[in-house]
This record gives sequence, structure tokens and C-alpha cells, in this order.
Amino acid sequence: MTGLVLKNVTKSFKEGDSTVDALKNVSLTVEPGEFIAIIGPSGSGKSTLLSIAGALLQPSKGEVLVNGTDIGKIKEKELSSFRLTDIGFILQTSNLIPYLTVLDQLLIVCKMKGKVTSKQIEFAKTLLTDLGLGQKLKKFPNELSGGERQRVAIARAFVNDSNIILADEPTASLDSNRAFEVVKQISKEVKDRNKAAVMVTHDERMLEFCDKVYRMEDGVLTLEG
Amino acid sequence: MFLAIKEMKHAKKRFVMIGSIIMLIAWLVFILSGLGNGLSTLAAATMKNIDGDLFIYEEGSAATMMKTKVEGKIADDVEGKYGVTEAAQFGQSTINVKSPDGKSKNDVAFLGIDPGKFIEPKVVEGKQLSADDKFGVIIDETLKDKGYKIGDKLVVASSEMELTVVGITEGETFNHVPSVFANVDTWQDYAFAAPGADNGLESPVAMIALQGTDIDAQKIEDNYDQIETFTKSEAVMGMPGYKEESGTIYMMLAFLFVISAVIIAVFFYVFILQKTQQFGVMKAIGASNRFIKNSIISQVFVLSFISIIAGIVLTYLTALVFPEGMPFNLDFKMVILYAVVLLIVSVLGSVISARQVTKIDPLTAIGRVE
Repeated sequence: MTGLVLKNVTKSFKEGDSTVDALKNVSLTVEPGEFIAIIGPSGSGKSTLLSIAGALLQPSKGEVLVNGTDIGKIKEKELSSFRLTDIGFILQTSNLIPYLTVLDQLLIVCKMKGKVTSKQIEFAKTLLTDLGLGQKLKKFPNELSGGERQRVAIARAFVNDSNIILADEPTASLDSNRAFEVVKQISKEVKDRNKAAVMVTHDERMLEFCDKVYRMEDGVLTLEG
Repeated sequence: MFLAIKEMKHAKKRFVMIGSIIMLIAWLVFILSGLGNGLSTLAAATMKNIDGDLFIYEEGSAATMMKTKVEGKIADDVEGKYGVTEAAQFGQSTINVKSPDGKSKNDVAFLGIDPGKFIEPKVVEGKQLSADDKFGVIIDETLKDKGYKIGDKLVVASSEMELTVVGITEGETFNHVPSVFANVDTWQDYAFAAPGADNGLESPVAMIALQGTDIDAQKIEDNYDQIETFTKSEAVMGMPGYKEESGTIYMMLAFLFVISAVIIAVFFYVFILQKTQQFGVMKAIGASNRFIKNSIISQVFVLSFISIIAGIVLTYLTALVFPEGMPFNLDFKMVILYAVVLLIVSVLGSVISARQVTKIDPLTAIGRVE
């Protein structure tokens, strides 16, 4: 099956002599074409959840299925190539590579897989044009506005055509108008391309674009409606 | 390679700075190798030019020219035996000759050899030595630059001997002074003029050079008293000052290679630390350790390659302005060899630094990790 499924996931961290449960028995299903949001105060475990869903961390207990593959069973060394093909990350603004042009930001992801084909270049250009960056292909990140940079990050998450999109605070450091714009665009791309998407945010203004909203508090995930 | 080159284009200043350090190191390496080469030529060119396979010296002389005397007739004796096809006598003294215009005096190496044998250098001008012309000599072309020419008489200081230049050869220096080749008996007349100087040996020479395949060194040593055989490299090493000079140069070169590896390693170590966040993001997106390491190492390769080429160009430019008579002799093959060693050493330095990429946690890319 496609999409993202978490079944009774617990993640514990050692803190000195005691263990802290950052996630307690969390279950979550995101279908393709669905865009969900997770909100909660800092320290509640949102980022841990995103890291586990994104194959950056492995769960202590429970199962994480990405497109039907159990992440817990993947070898540590193969996680990076799994992330490359199956997961698209939208990270915070500053996370573009400073010395690459807008188009190269996307092509470098293709390069990680191997040779870049002309088809991939075309796809990258289409994505960027869809996101309104058609005129900025040769610009460097420092020549772009915050909103434009974040749209490049969105395009980068989609360029490998992975089925899961994970967004970590995509609207941090953006003003309201730009933040709306960015979230609207993520939502549009997710629907158009039928992806399963999770956005972690503390920005409650953005929730109207999401299909479901979950609240995370002290490692416990609850559906808000 | 893609990332590496894009980054270098973007951060030109930073890469020009590190590149110029590598270029200067390369420059120093090439200058030193040129000096080393020049000095060793000066010390032992004649010795190196002798196309011998085995050399007979006096026992206990450790192949040092100053300490050896062997009986000349051994040369005739071994020829045709023990695998020796040809044997040639060699004697040396340092003498002082007046220049033709009488204005200056020059130290030269007075070398006695068997004319017509492999030990005799080919002349580029004039005639070869002949046994009939007792006082005819072949001189090195560096003496020609000082005004000596064919037909000139050389008056040997502290002696009544007068030599005549019959031929000029090139690239022949011995013990840091130009070589003058003469018949071995002429040399013996000079070297053993004082009674008792020959240590009671019959027509002694300094060394006998042997040519031949599979020479039985042990048998030769067993059959003659007070001799010892040495290979060519031992004989060259035994030249006065040779070991010391080349040892010093090689030590400096070795240090330079270590220093350049350390500079590259440290520079890229700091560089990687600076980019921890960036590499974290790349890893989160799905870059493997190998992808990032390859990018760093290829960057160092390109950088070192360009810098070393610049260093070679700089070296040849400097060589143009070096004063005449400086023992500086760039051997292109050696330059290429050192360039390759330097390149390998730099890349190894970056490989060491690149290992820490493995330790970067992709989690750093995610905002806050509880």
C-alpha cells in the first residue's frame, strides 16, 4: 500500500540515568492525496515524529510503514538512499545550498541518484514554473525573497517524485501573506500529484489548508478534527 | 564534481587563498628538487656518467674517492674473467690550473682514465684522448665558458706539468668542480710524484670500473688482496658531499609533503565543520556519505591540480631569473613525479578530513529535536 502508516510508535531517549519517551504509542495514517498538520508546543515531540516518519530516526517500538516498507527493518546504511527515493523533505528557509542556482538545487537531488537525464531537467523546470519561479532558474538563494526560497524548497521535495512529503515548519520566518502562499502551494502540489503529506507547524493560521489536524502534547498524538 | 566546481566558482576568494598556499608549497618543492638535482650533478656527474656495473675500490674505503688506492694491473687481469667484459682504470686529484689569459686560477678535477674505453666521455668538440698524446686532455664545457679552448695549454699549479686541451665534453663535473680527463699514466705521474706516495703499490689508481653481465663480485674479492667491490649507486653515494647534500634536500622535501598534507587536512576539516548544517540538510534529503565525501575529495583534487600546475609555471619563471652558475637543474621528469606525489598527498589529506562527514547527523536539519 502507499502512503504513510505509523502503528503504536514509541520513541525513547536516554537522558542521564532515566529514559524519556518523546513519543508514546503514536498511531497515524496518511493516505495519498491527504495533507495533514501536526501542531503542538515545542518539546512536545513533533520533530521526533517527523524524523521517524522521514527515516531519520528509527522507532524504539512500533512500526513505521512508508509505501508499505517497514523503516525499522532497513539497515542504517541504506536509510539515506531510502530517504532519497521515497521521502521529500521541505525544511526551514535557510536550508538551501548557498552556492547553487535555483535549478541546480533540484538537480543536485537527482545527481545523488546518478546521472541527470534531460527528462529530469524538464520535470524540475516544470515544477519550478508551477511554483512561479520560471523566471528565477539562474538565481542564487541570496538573490531570492524568503517566500521564493521556501518555494524552491517545496520544488526540491517534489523533484524525485517520492510519495511522502514531510514539511518541517515551512512557514517559519515568513510573514502571514507569504506563509499563506507557501502553504497553499504545498497543498496544491500535494493534491495535484497525489502525495501523502505531513506538515509540522506551530502556526495555527495555516490549518485551513489541511485535511486533518493533529495535536501533539507530551508525546501523545490526538486528532483535532 | 558538480557540487565541488559550483562551490569553487561561488566562493572564489576562499579557494584562491588555499590554492595559492598549495601553489607556493609546490613552488618550493620544485625549486628544492631543482637545487638538489643541480647539486648532485655538480657532486657526481662524472661518476654517474660512467657506465659501469661494478666498481673495485680499496678495502675499507667505503667507496670514498679520497681514501682508495688499488693496483692498476688488476684491470688488465680481470678483463675477460668473472663475467667482466671490460675494465677501466680511474684516478682522481683536485688540481689548480691557470686560465689561458693568466688572470684567474681554477680548481678542476684531474681525472686519469684509460683512453678509448667506456669510461672516456664523448667529446662534443675536438678529439678523443689517445695513448700517444700523453699530455692531451678533454675538459668540461663549463671551463670553455671561462675562456678555455682547444689548443690551450694548462699549467698545473705546484708542478711542472703542462697539459694541452684536445677535446671538450659536456655535463662532466666531479666533486663540485669541472672535470679534466687525461691518460691514466699522466695522472699517475702527477699524483705519485712524491716518493712513497704510491704506498708501494705498482701504478696505483683510485678505482677500477667494470662492465659486464653477472659479474662474480665475490670471486674478484677472494682473488685479490685489499680490494672491495661496490655497486654503482654505492659508488655515487661515496662521492664527497653527495649523501649529505641529497639527504638534506630529501629531508626538506619530505617535510614539505607532510606539511602540505596537514595544511589541506586542517583547512578542509574546518571547512567541513563550517558546513555541518549544510551537509546535514543534504543527508536528510538523501545524500549518502559517499556522495558528500566524493564531492569534498574531488574539490581538493581539482584545487590541488590547478595550484600545482600554477606552481610548475611559477618555478620555470623563477628559473629564468636565477643567477648564472647557480647549481639549479630542473629535470622535467622529476617535476612531474613530485607534482604527482604532491597531488596524491593533498588528496590523502582531504580523505582524512572527509571521514568526519560520516559523523554529521542528518537530524541537525530538522528544526528542534527533543
